Amino acid sequence: MPITTAYETRIDHVSILDEHGAFDESLGQGLIPEDQLPAIMEHLVFCRQLDETAFKLQRSGRMGTYPQNTGQEMPSLAAALAIDKADWLVTCYRENTGLFWHGLPPECILLHWMGDERGNHIPAGVNATPIAIPIGTQMLHAAGLAWAEKAKKTGAIAVTFFGDGATSEGDFHEAANFAASLKLPVVFCCQNNGWAISVPSSVQSAGETFAQRGISYGMPCVRADGNDLFAMTKVMKDAVARARAGEGPTFIEAVTYRLRDHTTADDARRYRDAGELETWEARDPLPRLQRWMEAKGLWDKSQHEKAMKSGEERVAEIISNAEGIAAPDRSEFFDHMYADLPESLKRQRDSKRTTSLGQFPEDLA
Amino acid sequence: MAQVKQPADKSHFILPDLGEGVHEAELIKWRVSAGDRVAEHQTLAEMETDKALVEVPSPWAGVVTELCGAEGDIINVGAVLVRYGEAETAGETAITPEPTQTTEAESPANEEREDAGTVVGSVNNDGAAPSALTRRRTEATEAPAEQARALATPAVRGIAKQLGVDINRVLGTGRGGRVTASDVERFAQHGATGEASSHQANTRVTVADIPEHSNPAAAPAVVGESTLPPVPVDPSGTTEVIPFRGVRRKIAEALDRSVKTAVHFTVVDEADITDLDRKRKEYSAITGRKLSFLPFVIRAVAHGLREHPALNAVVDEAKSEIHRKGNLNLGIAVDSDAGLMVPVLRNAEKLAIVEAAEGVARLAAGCRDRSIPREELTGSSFTISNVGSYGGRFATPVINHPEVAILAVGRGYEKVLAKDGRIYAGLSLPMSLSCDHRVVDGAEGARFLNTVKRLLEDPNALLG
Repeated sequence: MPITTAYETRIDHVSILDEHGAFDESLGQGLIPEDQLPAIMEHLVFCRQLDETAFKLQRSGRMGTYPQNTGQEMPSLAAALAIDKADWLVTCYRENTGLFWHGLPPECILLHWMGDERGNHIPAGVNATPIAIPIGTQMLHAAGLAWAEKAKKTGAIAVTFFGDGATSEGDFHEAANFAASLKLPVVFCCQNNGWAISVPSSVQSAGETFAQRGISYGMPCVRADGNDLFAMTKVMKDAVARARAGEGPTFIEAVTYRLRDHTTADDARRYRDAGELETWEARDPLPRLQRWMEAKGLWDKSQHEKAMKSGEERVAEIISNAEGIAAPDRSEFFDHMYADLPESLKRQRDSKRTTSLGQFPEDLA
Repeated sequence: MAQVKQPADKSHFILPDLGEGVHEAELIKWRVSAGDRVAEHQTLAEMETDKALVEVPSPWAGVVTELCGAEGDIINVGAVLVRYGEAETAGETAITPEPTQTTEAESPANEEREDAGTVVGSVNNDGAAPSALTRRRTEATEAPAEQARALATPAVRGIAKQLGVDINRVLGTGRGGRVTASDVERFAQHGATGEASSHQANTRVTVADIPEHSNPAAAPAVVGESTLPPVPVDPSGTTEVIPFRGVRRKIAEALDRSVKTAVHFTVVDEADITDLDRKRKEYSAITGRKLSFLPFVIRAVAHGLREHPALNAVVDEAKSEIHRKGNLNLGIAVDSDAGLMVPVLRNAEKLAIVEAAEGVARLAAGCRDRSIPREELTGSSFTISNVGSYGGRFATPVINHPEVAILAVGRGYEKVLAKDGRIYAGLSLPMSLSCDHRVVDGAEGARFLNTVKRLLEDPNALLG
């Protein structure tokens, strides 16, 4: 028999709460404790409000730029629900819901986009990395962190997030290969939101799924409805369990959609079909969960109104905190690069003059 | 770009960078009126940047007292978009647009405020330094202290502080209007002689007040708009009012710049293309493609520019340099629905007749369906305008700035011609060449036109 099958596979797609409200009891029963759901809903309401307000902050000149998260709240939140405090969230920039749930103060995200580096100062005890703007770098960081945790035998794992476009980067392949070959405790979660800025995912890859990109490295791959908190929580829990058990990485493709522009410097109407947006607005993950919870008696209109009101107050407070932070002292420019500041830089610091502007600090002495 | 600093007293809202590296935006629609009380995050206006149509929200709650700009205006980042005031005075200000927060606001100061923020082509801190060749003695606004924060490095701010100079009153002559150390020092000296205080009194300085600078690149920023008062227009009998904006506005700005910069002269001549017409028909028959005279003219121009390189050049106004070009990136004026566009035929001197014809056809089609990429619309060093395809013989074409010459080709027409004492019916091609006299003298322009004429009249030399 000259030709035999060398390898065969199949990619599962997981959906529990679909866009029409149908709920798969066999998979979804007990996945998220019912008493935890109201707090989750409040969190989601707050995150969406913060997201929409941050957009307006940029438009009124109070923030440099901002990538909206709206529509992509579930994948990272599911990860935060599935992991422990000691585990790492190694994110891109559309994972606010998960980061905040994992303990990151929302002020950090605002400060970051306001151009204040102190936003990247992650408080001790929060195992998250600064958000990664260069596409794909964080996947390598996740593999490295997971390797370190494995070496230290802490049992902690890393979950990393990236977009569909990032899977075309060399960094993805390096990270995936290391993680799978060394059986590192990592979960790779690709947020396939349909668009890498203006490049549609259909152009990004000729493959049927992004999930299959993990196959060649020898890791289990699964696809899930990224707008379904339950489906995402299930695949995350499975992947976290595998990582924890020393069985290595898992690749998850979360099928979701970027409901807003890529960033505030983008106008998606220029390249995106209005009909497509409408289709995905009907699949918005928040109203979907809200309707289901209301039908189950876990949430009601008055709770929602209350959540909206308290969310609004919290957003205002967070903005006020972020905008109210004292400006750093000018001499701090010099504080963080050298342990021992060279003489020339000391002169610059003391005189506030620099030869690069045609000024000679020595002249002032 | 750097975020703009909004005033702490919330008296006005400065247009921020609405994207990343956006310098200006077109005011599409006001969503509030003077006198309106607005909430924080409430949309003030819809504006269009080169990337996006965006809604601009209010950064705080308050009463809007003045809208600084009209729909269709281009507003620079850093200019005041709206002013805010007290609720009780808002009613008054809605009727008389007098700023409420200032008592010394007699009318010239008011005009100055409006100028500073809203006028197309006005140069605020982000404006490019104008040319030494074209710098007009128009007035530059000195940024009033309460209105805009000067662009300056911390080091220069330190110097200003040492010298007791309010840096926001100093007109910057550095890159992008930055205040330099020498600006501060000069300002401090003038202050000592009492000149600065007169500046402060009327909060504006003129270019004439600024000492000449040895480096033209560091020339002070100048308000680009003419200071001539606008002529009132009688609207009676008007059947349609078309907003002067978009592509039309861009064309207008480019032409305005050319006419105000280059010193135009035009020389005209006609070429006997009777023989060339025969060649053209032969070429058309061989290639199976109906050829116009344009690709032949392109060939003649390419040859002519090789002999007269002074006309294949661009002027760098900022550096006071003339850049002669080795190859011919030829602008082709194209009439599209949106207006005049000038796509660029790259390395036109290397193109065979049919290649040139195909290149022009491709560019023209790209302009007409607006699919042409931006990079194909820049970088030309000489332009041909084929006005003849629409009729007409001679023209006085306007140079495609910063080039130094443009050739308008009229419609070839049958004419009684004479040669060697013999009269015959031939075909004549009218040509009009405009040159920038600052760079090209009349004799040089005429010699170039002669070369083009000679080649068009001798197809063997042209095509050999």
